[in-house]
Amino acid sequence: MSAPVKLSPRQLFTRCDPAEFTFETTAELDGSTEIAGQQRAMEAIRFSMGIGHDGFNLFALGSSGTGKQSTVLHYLNHLVPDAPCPDDWCYVYNFDKPRHPRALRLPPGRACELGNDMEHLIDALLGVIPAAFSSEEYQSREKEIHESFQEQQGVAIEALEQNAREHDIALIRTPGGFAFAPIRKGEVIKPDEFMSLKEDEREKIEAEMIRLKDILQSIMAQIPKWQRESTEKLKELNRDVAGFALKPLIGELRMKYADLPELIRHIDAIENDIIGNFEQFLEKEPSAQELFMGSGPAKPGEKGRFFVRYRVNVMIDNSHTNGAPVVLEDKPATQNLIGDIEHTAQMGTLVTDFTLIKPGALHRANGGYLVLDARRLLLEPFAWEALKKAIRTRQIRIESLAQLYSLVSTVSLEPEPIPLQVKIILIGERRLYYLLSSYDPDFSELFKVAADFEDEMERNPENHLAYARLIGSMAVREKLLPFDRGAVARIIEHGSRLAGDATKLTTHLQGICDLAHEADYHAVQNGHEQITATDVQAGIDAQIRRSSRIQERIREAMMRDTLLIDTSSEKTGQINGLAVYSLGDRSFGRPSRITARVRMGKGEVIDIEREVEMGGPIHSKGVLILSGFLGARYAAERPLSLSATLVFEQSYSGVEGDSASSAELYALLSAISGLPIRQWFAVTGSVNQNGEVQAIGGVNEKIEGFFDLCQQRGLDGRHGVLIPVSNVTNLMLRDDIVKAVEEGKFSIWPVSRIDEGIEILTGVPAGEPDASGAWPEGSVNARIACRIEAMAKKLKAFVSDHDKDGQAMPC
Amino acid sequence: MKPGTIRTIAVALDCSPHSRASLEAAARIASMLSAELVGLFVEDINLLRMAGLPFAEEFRLYSSTTGKLDKEQLERLLRLQAREARELLQRTAEALTLRHTFRVMRGMVPEELMSAAEGADMLVLGRSGRSPSCRKRLGSTARTALLEGKRTVLLMRPGFSPAAGPLLVLFDGSEGSTRALDTAMAIAGPESTLHLIVVDPETGDGDRWEKEAAAMIEPSGIDAEYHHLPPVGGNELARYIRMIDSGLLVLSDHMKLPESTLRELVNDIDYPVLVVR
Repeated sequence: MSAPVKLSPRQLFTRCDPAEFTFETTAELDGSTEIAGQQRAMEAIRFSMGIGHDGFNLFALGSSGTGKQSTVLHYLNHLVPDAPCPDDWCYVYNFDKPRHPRALRLPPGRACELGNDMEHLIDALLGVIPAAFSSEEYQSREKEIHESFQEQQGVAIEALEQNAREHDIALIRTPGGFAFAPIRKGEVIKPDEFMSLKEDEREKIEAEMIRLKDILQSIMAQIPKWQRESTEKLKELNRDVAGFALKPLIGELRMKYADLPELIRHIDAIENDIIGNFEQFLEKEPSAQELFMGSGPAKPGEKGRFFVRYRVNVMIDNSHTNGAPVVLEDKPATQNLIGDIEHTAQMGTLVTDFTLIKPGALHRANGGYLVLDARRLLLEPFAWEALKKAIRTRQIRIESLAQLYSLVSTVSLEPEPIPLQVKIILIGERRLYYLLSSYDPDFSELFKVAADFEDEMERNPENHLAYARLIGSMAVREKLLPFDRGAVARIIEHGSRLAGDATKLTTHLQGICDLAHEADYHAVQNGHEQITATDVQAGIDAQIRRSSRIQERIREAMMRDTLLIDTSSEKTGQINGLAVYSLGDRSFGRPSRITARVRMGKGEVIDIEREVEMGGPIHSKGVLILSGFLGARYAAERPLSLSATLVFEQSYSGVEGDSASSAELYALLSAISGLPIRQWFAVTGSVNQNGEVQAIGGVNEKIEGFFDLCQQRGLDGRHGVLIPVSNVTNLMLRDDIVKAVEEGKFSIWPVSRIDEGIEILTGVPAGEPDASGAWPEGSVNARIACRIEAMAKKLKAFVSDHDKDGQAMPC
Repeated sequence: MKPGTIRTIAVALDCSPHSRASLEAAARIASMLSAELVGLFVEDINLLRMAGLPFAEEFRLYSSTTGKLDKEQLERLLRLQAREARELLQRTAEALTLRHTFRVMRGMVPEELMSAAEGADMLVLGRSGRSPSCRKRLGSTARTALLEGKRTVLLMRPGFSPAAGPLLVLFDGSEGSTRALDTAMAIAGPESTLHLIVVDPETGDGDRWEKEAAAMIEPSGIDAEYHHLPPVGGNELARYIRMIDSGLLVLSDHMKLPESTLRELVNDIDYPVLVVR
């Protein structure tokens, strides 16, 4: 077995050479940005935007800050200018069913034009109609119709009066109607005089009166008919006059919109309605009640509520739209998505009309693209269901939530749905995508394309340049100082560190953008004209400093020996493990003491963390692997007669992960063999049952956590960390660590097997078995095998002694 | 005629549209002349007698049915009408701060009105009252007032405002027509235009009369327009007046024009008429 060699400084940090760039500062770059490292996602976006079939909407998934939204918008902004501009939409009054406003589609830019034309029509009619109805010709014709009715009535009654008078009977008006009475010398005959008349005279009078009454009744029966005829004549006159006044104005509109048959039908309906309601256009002083209720004109020129029906509610005006619209709805509440029907308060009552229909993002994006944040969408009550319904039915139906769920009960409308042709782009985390896929059966039907954004990309010269372009365009857009190539190189190195891999670059562009802003701040503070690597480093240091309070408090506790971490002596069954703590968006490493103790037993390894339920399942799994390793290597042919206990000392908050399993095994081997472990080392790495050391996460943070403690206590050249060899490519360590390694004050050891690690930690060879399976004398493994054998014998002797005494063996 | 000559204006009220117009006109004239308003309501004795007849029946307009006429019910209804008339008078007079009284009489309507109007300087009544035929021509009471009345009479019809609109005076140089012009000037509003129809006699005095009339009108500052007509019959005169389309017609019954012409004119004209005596 070849002994591992500690890593050279070059392996600890992969530099980006500023000399590889041909520019001096990013100001020399053309400012264009290109999407780098997201080929898979870009292909998905291109496919989704290109395919016209239903359901091929897009879900852009990935970690936050990976530039999903910018990438989608960047692509769409290049795509839309060539797409056709969608039509305008407006709502107009439905004269047949006022509760169901009609939706009208018009070519781009003509909805507003129609709205203005209708306003002008009303203004013009308010002048033209009163003029027509106040004309002398109309007045005399109207008077004539009234007079004719009066005359018809008067002539009939007068004839009856005359008829009655000839028979000495008068027709008299009573408070409630008419009555006949016999007269003598112009006066109604007195009752006693009447009674003194001869009977045949009385009978004659009475018979006459019955006859006259019948005539009167037949006249009265005709009066309603005459009145109807007169009203009909008047109506016809009004229709003629209003129609004549309206004709030229409506004719102009018909000619202008002759190419839109649907609109022409609406104009016809308007014409009929105006003719039927011409009196609304006649000027009159509003009554006090009308003024109070706001239904009358509040000031000269302002039209009352009645004229609202002729107006046009322009929902979508594409007069200034270039190509297809791209709408980013930041607050995807139901009303903001599908629109809303607003109400106004009138005398304490909520009223509405079609002009109060408000468009939503779907209306604005119709014929184009709608970009939504999935999390925000799902947080809004009923918004997700409303969006799905709109996509599924391919129409926008505006429904008031309050009405739908009977939260309020007031007059409302049911506007005609508008056909929907839109591509929806949802942007969200992976978890949301998988949750929706699992639990919402509609989701996979409606969002068939997923654009999965990478968290990292390959680190190569092309992507270095893409990073430089990105930083350059960011500087232009955000009005930052230009970055010199040293600064760009340092940002690229930091991008690699954020990716946790020397061969990768992070695609969390938000973090890079934040760092660029901080570097700009430091450059300005330092009076630089361009941002240098020093400014970038100052930004990185400041970020670390801001978030290192807890890290420093822990280290302070270690310095005071409140938390016991030994970094200078050698101890049996004790080792420095390394753990990573994540707080918010920052993480840091810290050493933890792990101890192991052995005694005679039945071969089990007790994980104290697990026993008290402070260890997670992965950690417990790691510990159980240790039993497998020990049994297979040292007790394959005989029982493992020891029991071991393992514990993370001074751990108060639980342990998870298997990155400490190699450290635990080293501690166990030390405890069994009795060989002390050098405490100036710290260890990380998981282990399998064959004793191979496996990769772990957060290697940079772990090394830095132990280095900081050792540096504060004073580096003496012995300090170092054992890491899995497979983690070497992840190393992007701080500059001070690289310097310490260069100066020989600190070392990092790549380990691939447990035997390599135990040799470094104890200074004693691990030993390899010979052909008979025996370990070399004095080696670590020989000591362990010997101890296990001794314990087995002791146990056997102990058991037989107890059997002789007839006592049960204590467990 | 100087303002103040008319101190009391009697107005016949029976709640018909004509009588409402009469009240409004009377109130406006009273307000201009600072005169007192006297409301007159006559309970028609003919109605009460008819109710006493054994076969009396009423044909009800609101239901087109017939029903027995009850005397008590009729009296109650007449009292109700009287109260309504009184309230109407009160409201109108108080709005213009006019002195006013209200009288209720029982008897034959024309006679009772004539006798009650004896104490007033002017009588205002509708061209026709609650007459069954809604006739265009003069009603019986109006005719009686014209023929037998000794006071100035204003025969009103709805839709006109005599004091605010234009006025038309029939002028023939007689003393009566001078009085008519005087009265017209007294009741003319600030915006009123005075149309003067000078009925030219064959003697050719028309121009002189116009000058005399102009001399009377000028100090008042009222706009005046002069029209000249040869002596014609009542029908032609009415047609000419319609063409001018003026409002209140003011004339006198002591003019040189034949009485029959005047009567024909008053009977045919569909404008309110003020007959000055």
